[in-house]
Amino acid sequence: MALRGGVYSCDGPSHAPAVEGFMINAWRYGDDARRDDAAAWVVRLEAGDLGDAEAVTFDAWLSATPENAVAFDAALSVSHAYAAAGDEVSRNLSDRRVAPRIDRRRAVVGFGAMAAAAALAVVAVPQFAGPDTDSYITAKGQHRTVQLADGSTIDLNGGTRLTVNFARDGRHVNLAEGQAVFDVAHDARRPFLVAVGDRTVRVVGTQFDVRRLGGKLSVTVARGAVEVRPVAGVSGKAYRLHPGQRLDHVEGAVLTRVAQAEPAEVLGWRSGRMVYRQQPLSDVIDDLNQQFTTQIRIEDPELAATPISGVLVMDDQASVIRRLALLVPITAVRSGAGLALRRDTASVR
Amino acid sequence: MSAVTDPETPAPTDPLLEIYLERRANLVRFFAARSGSRIIAEDLAQELYVKLATRDQTITAENPIALIYRIATNVMLDRARGEARATARDAAWRRVAHASMGGEDVAEDIPADEAVASRQRLRQLVEAAGDLPPQMQRAFRLHKLEGRSHAETAQVMGLSVKSVEKHISAALKALTARLGR
Repeated sequence: MALRGGVYSCDGPSHAPAVEGFMINAWRYGDDARRDDAAAWVVRLEAGDLGDAEAVTFDAWLSATPENAVAFDAALSVSHAYAAAGDEVSRNLSDRRVAPRIDRRRAVVGFGAMAAAAALAVVAVPQFAGPDTDSYITAKGQHRTVQLADGSTIDLNGGTRLTVNFARDGRHVNLAEGQAVFDVAHDARRPFLVAVGDRTVRVVGTQFDVRRLGGKLSVTVARGAVEVRPVAGVSGKAYRLHPGQRLDHVEGAVLTRVAQAEPAEVLGWRSGRMVYRQQPLSDVIDDLNQQFTTQIRIEDPELAATPISGVLVMDDQASVIRRLALLVPITAVRSGAGLALRRDTASVR
Repeated sequence: MSAVTDPETPAPTDPLLEIYLERRANLVRFFAARSGSRIIAEDLAQELYVKLATRDQTITAENPIALIYRIATNVMLDRARGEARATARDAAWRRVAHASMGGEDVAEDIPADEAVASRQRLRQLVEAAGDLPPQMQRAFRLHKLEGRSHAETAQVMGLSVKSVEKHISAALKALTARLGR
């Protein structure tokens, strides 16, 4: 009872009086640091024997408050569940990543339903974004894989917003901001169209990466072919891109640049590995700002333009900055809620 | 040490056993994490009691709690590992499949529903793990799902053991927050 009172006091009176209710509430409103500790202790204990001092600390932490024991039990149950189902979970994760299954029949059914709904939408709600439009948003640092009704998949990088609308004439995606890899199921009758700023990417069946960050667009093709053309009313040339080609464009500009690129490298962000070849430091920072919530700024334009070549593993921000400092003499200082990157004058090379 | 004892029950005269009884729940948790099974943990806690009760009383320690945990560690090691681990895995899975998930008790299903429930549970596990950030997911997968040690995981990923530990515990925290809901 004392425990229940303690847990509920975080949230005032609860509407879930059952025992399960208190467990759930303990988690939802529990102390974040407590969860950190609970997970860390489970991981520590599973890794190997404790020394005397650690054992005493562990025992003291568990005894400190009943909520600690509850948090520990919750983390341990989840850990046990994964340990017991390790092989199966691992196999399913591989399927999910590598081979998005395409269920032909379901795709057709999905199409029919969508088309009917779209037709209805035109009659009932003649607005651009009808009820068939799905929005997908990721927070900074969050990755998400979305499987569409037609069997296509979209991997969203952090800080990405996009909408998906399946209509009779085509599959429409609007990438408002961020970066995504599209693995598109073949459907000759319904082209897959990605609107990105003042360009449209048109595809029939392929894998490609699209990004839009701060008015800079880029499209890289891994398989198949895509066509990138200006949206109606905007001047500029249309390009057909083949595997290994990358298109860069600044919104509002007429010019567009097409260069060779290694798709595996461009798509590497999905596995937390970024590859740079003579790209300005500012590009690297844009990527970091997508991966981590603490935002980094560079005020020195000369430093921002410094070309970077190398592979960065995106594990935690401090480590990434440390590794980046091996490529270019920089130092990060706290600045408001974020970080400011400066030239490290101490390490002149 | 001078705890008030109930005359009805024979109180342990050994201070170490007193501490053991006070901390029994903690020790079961310790064994559950070390052995990978709550069922085995109960056995081990029982074994520890026997060991403490029959120990050489001349052995003393500055910190009795540290001593109990040290003996607990020996009890763990005494158990034949290979077989115990395999059983632990099976037992743990059967148990979590319809007993407890993230501390939330789930009613026992009738056998016909059990397959559906465990498929659902598997899907939840896969989805939750799949939504982890890539590095965290990879570390968790290499270690927890594929059974590599922290050091091996660190080597595969080209990271320090410390970063791997951080990834794995952040992953467990995130998964617990999601699945315990």
